[in-house]
Amino acid sequence: MLRRDFLRNLVITTGGVTLGGSLLAACGGSGTTTTVDGLSIGTPDNPIKLPVTTDAIADGLPSESGTLEILNWADYQNPESIAIFEEKFGCKVVTSIYDTEEAAIAKLRNGTFKPDLILGMTDTGLAKLIAADLLQPLNKSYIPNFQNVISGLRNPYYDLDSQYTVPYMIYGNGIGYRTDRIDKNAFAGNGYDTLWDSKFSGKLAVLDSYRDTLAMAMFRAGNFDGNTTDAAIIQKAGDDLIALREATNPKVDILAYQEMPAGNRDINFTWSGDLFTAIQYLPEGVSPDVLGFWYPEKTVAKNDFMCITKSAKAPVLAHQLINFLSDTDNALLNREYVGYQPALESITVDLLISSGTIPESLIDALVTPEKYEAGLAQVSLEPAVDALWLEQWTRFTAG
Amino acid sequence: MARTMDTLYRWLTQIKLNKSPRLWAGFAIPGTVWLVVLFAIPFYAVACVAFGTIDPVFRDAVPQWNPLSWNFVQAQQIFTSLATGPLRGVAIRTVVYVVCAMSLSFVVGFPIAYFLARHAGKHKLLLLVLIIVPFWVNYLMRMLAWVNLLSVDGLFTRFMRNFGINYNWLDGSPITVILGLVYGYIPFLILPLYATLERLDWRLVDAARDLGANSRQAFRLVTLPMSKAGLVAAGILIALPMFGDYYTNDLLSRSPSTEMIGNQIDFFLNASSQPQNGALLVLALSLFLLLFMSFYLRSTRQQTRQVTR
Repeated sequence: MLRRDFLRNLVITTGGVTLGGSLLAACGGSGTTTTVDGLSIGTPDNPIKLPVTTDAIADGLPSESGTLEILNWADYQNPESIAIFEEKFGCKVVTSIYDTEEAAIAKLRNGTFKPDLILGMTDTGLAKLIAADLLQPLNKSYIPNFQNVISGLRNPYYDLDSQYTVPYMIYGNGIGYRTDRIDKNAFAGNGYDTLWDSKFSGKLAVLDSYRDTLAMAMFRAGNFDGNTTDAAIIQKAGDDLIALREATNPKVDILAYQEMPAGNRDINFTWSGDLFTAIQYLPEGVSPDVLGFWYPEKTVAKNDFMCITKSAKAPVLAHQLINFLSDTDNALLNREYVGYQPALESITVDLLISSGTIPESLIDALVTPEKYEAGLAQVSLEPAVDALWLEQWTRFTAG
Repeated sequence: MARTMDTLYRWLTQIKLNKSPRLWAGFAIPGTVWLVVLFAIPFYAVACVAFGTIDPVFRDAVPQWNPLSWNFVQAQQIFTSLATGPLRGVAIRTVVYVVCAMSLSFVVGFPIAYFLARHAGKHKLLLLVLIIVPFWVNYLMRMLAWVNLLSVDGLFTRFMRNFGINYNWLDGSPITVILGLVYGYIPFLILPLYATLERLDWRLVDAARDLGANSRQAFRLVTLPMSKAGLVAAGILIALPMFGDYYTNDLLSRSPSTEMIGNQIDFFLNASSQPQNGALLVLALSLFLLLFMSFYLRSTRQQTRQVTR
């Protein structure tokens, strides 16, 4: 019986909770777990130690020669950084691109993608990767730069002891705006209300992400559980988004990093990292100070991570690249292209501002360790609850 | 080569149809295989996804290959949503946009095809090539070019300001989406129309004029009825892809107020945990398009009957 069939049958016959428990029992894990239909998912309140089904590679192995295959989002690594790595380790790095975690995991499971290293996955994807037994545990002796990671993320709730993952980038949800068109004081009081202001009609956008945007509407209304199962709260968020649509005819996309610098929109509910990327898209002669960000006191804060596949042909090189990207200087160089903020303690707000790579107007977009700690987490929803969220999203996007 | 073809032709013409029906039926094999492999089987797969289940762990679609075990619960929900729920507006909007875009395409495309077929004279080929050349560029690239032209500081927007028109074309306007559809698909209307008009027996129009019809009457009573088959074929040819189009809207609007059925299919298939809904919408759209095809087949059959009568 395949592991997948085993998991499904177990879920159907015994329920997810038993599965989570059995997996933990099997691996001797010490953390508690939340299971959503068979997926072992950690939450800040219930962190999880993931099951280990294979050993990490041995210490002191030499780096492989040849090719290191990476799976990553588009434009999410600096080609210059990769070139330096290739030269240093005498290898060739080949990158495949994915555009949704779901599609990437499906292709990893059916063997279409066979990378050594995956960049940019999040905790919801991790649960599926573990369920499909696609990852190998890390050997930290190859990753001394792990000590540079933000301390609050060295033992993350989704992967206690960081057995499989090393954080890559951090970001939070908030509102990007053009400082030459909107005053910072517009966000005084309930800053979310700005998105419902009809004077921005045709010049406003929200994220094309049903979890993020519906959660934003919930936060505006004072409901701060971004994983709520309460049908009434979900319904209200849908109603509020419809009101936003009626008032402002918003765009629903993930193009803030292009459209805001181009001047096509004044305000955009988006990920903080998009504003840093936007700097590169500003027309010639336009100051980066035109970009501003309102970081809500209570909002979703997330990170993604790097992990190595169980079938990796070059696991040592994969460890070396994780270590390379966790080095402060290399991470800064990588950030110059990617825009997003590396999850390293050494890359402080002061360093980024004083080095001139990020304008003062975007100081609020930077996620400090404190902001990350205070951030709200998003986890997978049960299918029935997910259907409620999708129903409201369809009401909103169907116009 | 020419000799071989000549021999083959002679061999084929010498064969009596009634003596070798299998040979002639054999010519249908490549087309049949093509249809089965690239249409029938994929379409069945879509139906199996639509009436299948969702993997409880990975949330992928799990096709149900046995039709006897198909599950229709989700289908009922989607069809209810299309009839009375949130998807109703999207369905109506899609029909309205496609009808508007088709009408505008006819208004723009018919005179062009007519001119090319009737009055272009020795420049016919050159003009035809000039019309088609821009469409050698990929659809996506042409739409991205329009995004640049129509942006707030785009060339077209600045040019229109000279005439006092200060319009934000990319603010989620239905007009922009409809014009984008027209621009994207109009060559597929002009070419078949031109092919039909070029084959018309224009002596019939001359006869109508000789018998006292003015130019409008000749057009209405002779040219238009004779070009009906071409008009229907061209209309079908552009309507089918327009109904499933999602990237025109994605690039030129991306606003919920212009959402079309293709955008919902894209969302459910690629960005949600309910890929079944995407497959069900594909089936619903196919059923709807079947009506168009039936109309086209009926109309062609009628015309064939009239010609052979």
